[in-house]
Amino acid sequence: MKPILNIAALCSASLGALLAAAPALANGVHAQCPAGILTQSFDPVTGKNLTLDVRHPQASTDPGCRDIAAPTFFDTCKVLKDPVTGQPSGQTTNPSVVCRSIVCGDGHVNMADGSDTFIFGFTDVTNAPEDLILTRGMPLAPNAVPLGGANFSAPTMIMREGQDFYLTLTNAGFRERPDLSDSHTVHYHGFPNAASVFDGEPMASFGINMGSSVTYYYKNQYAGTYMYHCHVEAAEHMQMGMLGNLYVLPAQDGTPIPYRGKTYSKFAFSDCPRAGDPLCGSTGYDAMYFLQESAFDPMFHHADNTYNRISFANMNDTYGMLNGRGYPDTANPAELINVNNHPSQPIPAIAMTVDAGGNRAPLVIHQGNRVLLRLSSLSTVEFYTVTVLGIPMRIIGQGAQLLKGPTGANTSYPTASVTLGGGEGVDAILDTTSVAPGTYFIYTTNLNRLSNNTEDFGGMMTEIVVSP
Amino acid sequence: MKPIYFAPLAAALAVLVPNHARATIQGVTGTSFNLTAREDTISTGDGDSMYMWGYALDNRRMQYPGPTLIVNQGDGVTVRLSNKLPVPVSLVFPGHNVTATGGVPGLLTSEVPAAPSTAVVTYTFTASEPGTYIYYSGTRSDLQVEMGLAGALIVRPRGAPKQAYGDPRTAFDREYLFFLTEADPAIHQLVAFGKLAQVDMTARHPVDWFINGRNFPDTVQANNVRYLPTQPYNCFPRMHPGEKVLLRMVSAGVDLHPFHTHGQNHLVIARDGRLLSSNLSVPNPIPDLAISDYTTSAVPGETVDAIWGPWTGAKLGWDIYGTANLRPHNCTPDATGFDPASHEWCADHYKPIPVLLPTPSELTHGNFYGGTAYLGIPGGLPADNPGARMQQNLVGGVSFMWHSHSERELTTNDIFIGGMATMAMVVPMNVPIP
Repeated sequence: MKPILNIAALCSASLGALLAAAPALANGVHAQCPAGILTQSFDPVTGKNLTLDVRHPQASTDPGCRDIAAPTFFDTCKVLKDPVTGQPSGQTTNPSVVCRSIVCGDGHVNMADGSDTFIFGFTDVTNAPEDLILTRGMPLAPNAVPLGGANFSAPTMIMREGQDFYLTLTNAGFRERPDLSDSHTVHYHGFPNAASVFDGEPMASFGINMGSSVTYYYKNQYAGTYMYHCHVEAAEHMQMGMLGNLYVLPAQDGTPIPYRGKTYSKFAFSDCPRAGDPLCGSTGYDAMYFLQESAFDPMFHHADNTYNRISFANMNDTYGMLNGRGYPDTANPAELINVNNHPSQPIPAIAMTVDAGGNRAPLVIHQGNRVLLRLSSLSTVEFYTVTVLGIPMRIIGQGAQLLKGPTGANTSYPTASVTLGGGEGVDAILDTTSVAPGTYFIYTTNLNRLSNNTEDFGGMMTEIVVSP
Repeated sequence: MKPIYFAPLAAALAVLVPNHARATIQGVTGTSFNLTAREDTISTGDGDSMYMWGYALDNRRMQYPGPTLIVNQGDGVTVRLSNKLPVPVSLVFPGHNVTATGGVPGLLTSEVPAAPSTAVVTYTFTASEPGTYIYYSGTRSDLQVEMGLAGALIVRPRGAPKQAYGDPRTAFDREYLFFLTEADPAIHQLVAFGKLAQVDMTARHPVDWFINGRNFPDTVQANNVRYLPTQPYNCFPRMHPGEKVLLRMVSAGVDLHPFHTHGQNHLVIARDGRLLSSNLSVPNPIPDLAISDYTTSAVPGETVDAIWGPWTGAKLGWDIYGTANLRPHNCTPDATGFDPASHEWCADHYKPIPVLLPTPSELTHGNFYGGTAYLGIPGGLPADNPGARMQQNLVGGVSFMWHSHSERELTTNDIFIGGMATMAMVVPMNVPIP
């Protein structure tokens, strides 16, 4: 069900005038976006129409949107949610512009063995009033326990080829490590022809300090599976969880293209530059999994939480994860709530649908469907091999590029497993045509990482259910 | 203790001052080479030193990695190995059909006995196929390669010195070596103390990671700097817009390292000196199976040739070459939309950066930042900022980190930042590259 939309911003003309009159530099906490964020026009529960805050043109005036104690704080802001992730879509009144706003700090997550782990991470604050962004990053929780609101995985970024992407990062600081004054960045990993000013590698550019925002700008030119992470003190910040999914949908999406007897309208890449190209439609799919491999060393996290010396060389990752969860949490469509009653693990590692009311359900995959698997790794220590037991797999993309040689050769290949080091990513098509209905597993064949620390078995594994 | 800070002046000069050395890989050319296995020490980025075994050219000191041997396709190559170490050593050249004479027979090849033997083993082979190769000791290799007895061999295609292979699609403007290793200092200490019997390679636990025998930030210092006498090779890729950069990657440790190039994908054209081609049996195969990627792993002992770029800053949605008020310049597009001289993509000409950047006091600037968002428009970093004290980029270059994406390897003995990392820099057209 698609919510009715209204126009969020006052209008782009007045915002343009505002920018023209502004000084040459941005100051403090400020989410730059040249168009209004799309919001739901009414609250489906109360039926009440929403209006917009004239002081914060991108923010709802709904009282719930300003009640930072509410656990559903951002749901009540009525920002338009992405039906795949349930997270703010960032779509604006200008279809070619996507604006997201995230805040970074620290927080806690529940590991699949039930233990609590301290993390560094990002949280989505798209459409939040600017005066509340910092408190969102360092919220005073309902029980007044001073724990931060970081998520793991980080908010998922979804764009479309050709869209302008304005990504604001605000540094809220670490609530539990006030001795650290770390700056932070976003590195859009794999962005082609990058400008170092927006690359997020802090030696080649800069990190944003506590209490301030930076808005990165990217013009998305090529579909593919990328990833993002903080690049400041990367060995620490990435082990601590500042990692997220990022992918770009092809401009070709929505165009029906036949392939092997079926017609697809969703594709991994713009695979059909001209009619008759032998790869036309070959990346078409019915359902999508995006899975990011990562792993935690609990001793490293404990040391970071308790002001102890951290050792990089001794990192020993014993929690293998997909999208920030170990099995069986990977297959649970719900948001996971941490010790502070905060939804800190927002996305599962299965395909799901989220309706306008926020209700989540696994996406039904029928026998005969083709499933696009966007698989990336942001492991900071080890390589992981992942297999899909019982479903034929073909690797069709790598490094955010269609597997097509320089002279046009089809370089895709069938395989039963794929091995990724940190920073590597592939796109695979899982074809369920000859697969009997049932539950199948995607898991690492580094079998010792099928564990949630000392608990067997779990870890880097998730399910794919094929229905009749 | 050696400071871990950069030498800003040296690096700034490296960018500013033209040098008569060609923008090519440092090494030794010819067809006949005399190597000696010797002991010495290297400096690590944490300020420590490490006892090493390595190959020396002629009567020089040993170096880590060994001398890069650069030959031409078709050459008959002769390498004579002598030994000053207390253990037997040898040489193997994977990918080549080698004849060894002299010395004593070993398991893999003929070995030079331990010093004081004055025996010499002569290894001869024909460099029949162009590409990037590894060489290392075939004697107790697990320990000896860890100790430093390894190097790179480059075979240039016949008659095409600016190509990696015979096909013109493998042409490059600049080439750099990425000899990737890791080390466990505890092993080196045991060997230094003569406690060879106590070395247990199954308990190896590397804490230092290297490119060309150096930890970052030593990787961006000049070649042959006098304070790194046994680590002559840097890895500081620099290029102009529009240039293709050949990465010759050699994985010479026993761990895998996912190597990530910021800024642009690289096209993997060959592995182990063999082009990724559907037909290798024709005279000049084409790399039709090449794969573009943002991160590539060479498995232990493997080599990878990849071409990065060209980087042009095209289609960013703003003009990274500067706006009219900052840097007046022209852009005259050819049929592809680029200015053929500057490589600027003209559709974005003079478009300003579409966001406001934070005030300097809100940022922690890095020392490789040019000071502005734009290529060729340098700006001083704020004096109270960490990067300003050692600013490495006085020409408005656009810098990118190239590094192992196993992020814990960005450390040297638990000091961040160090390890298997370097900075690549796109510099303006008018800045000469040494």
